[in-house]
Amino acid sequence: MEQRRISRRMKNDMKNLLVMVCRIFLGFMFIYASLDKIANPEEFAKQIGYYKALPFGLENVLAIVLPWTELIVGICLLAGLLVDGATLLSIIMMLVFILAISQAMLRGIDITCGCFKVSADSDKLGLDTIIRDIVFLVMSFIVLNRQERKFEFLPKSD
Amino acid sequence: MLRVPLNQMLAVLILSLAIGLFTNLIRPDRIPFLAQDMVIAEDLEEVSGEPVTVSLAQAKNLFDKGIIFVDAREDEYFADGHIRNAWNSGFFMELMYKLDSLQTKDGAVVIYCSDDDCGSSEELAFDLYNEGFTKLFVFKGGWLEWNNAGYPVE
Repeated sequence: MEQRRISRRMKNDMKNLLVMVCRIFLGFMFIYASLDKIANPEEFAKQIGYYKALPFGLENVLAIVLPWTELIVGICLLAGLLVDGATLLSIIMMLVFILAISQAMLRGIDITCGCFKVSADSDKLGLDTIIRDIVFLVMSFIVLNRQERKFEFLPKSD
Repeated sequence: MLRVPLNQMLAVLILSLAIGLFTNLIRPDRIPFLAQDMVIAEDLEEVSGEPVTVSLAQAKNLFDKGIIFVDAREDEYFADGHIRNAWNSGFFMELMYKLDSLQTKDGAVVIYCSDDDCGSSEELAFDLYNEGFTKLFVFKGGWLEWNNAGYPVE
């Protein structure tokens, strides 16, 4: 009896640890990804434009807003604020990125990703960029699906 | 159970929208809300600065003058067929080195990809522009328009 309770608690601890690792990793990842884009909005807008996926020059609006969304999502995940909302946004962003990269690759658009750096030496679009985003997507689901809220401050932890 | 925290999500979205729009208003390197199309070349001789786009006729004109054409598509597309004497873009540093060894930074270069709907020619042109090249023509009609016109290919 006692032993089973201990093993269940250990399993829970492991789960909580996994959630925390994903949360911290995604948090730093989003913050890192946002910095170069916030510093170079013009370059980032062009980078979005090369994907040829948005009409009417809307890439500029996206280039103005998206880096800040990434930054705030990253801060929320690290600081334990609005974790549910931030994780859901992370899922949506990853789905959109995967879609954007796939459509560009299917149409044979040979460009750099603009995922973390907007300069010419950024990664080329490829299967690895898609797989990377799928890993981030899975990590986001792990955080969204957590059973216990640990180190969350708004809304308060259980 | 998965949670669907729409109100939290909206809060984060609205905050980033507000900060993004506000900082864009006050920063010196602000960008317009909508992207502008690339400038269309008028006088081919006078181009100097940011990359400009050229029509099929202008591209043919430049081709006849022996200007360097660079194919910005992936290697397999290039191997299937390209504008005669065009270079495969390959690695960026290598391309820059090759251009530098043949002509000065204000020497003309025409860059193209598959058609109007591919971004690689624009990306390559702006990357070269950032490295100091000043006479860059983006032929937007690209391989499709050139090939359809029956102009020299290989």
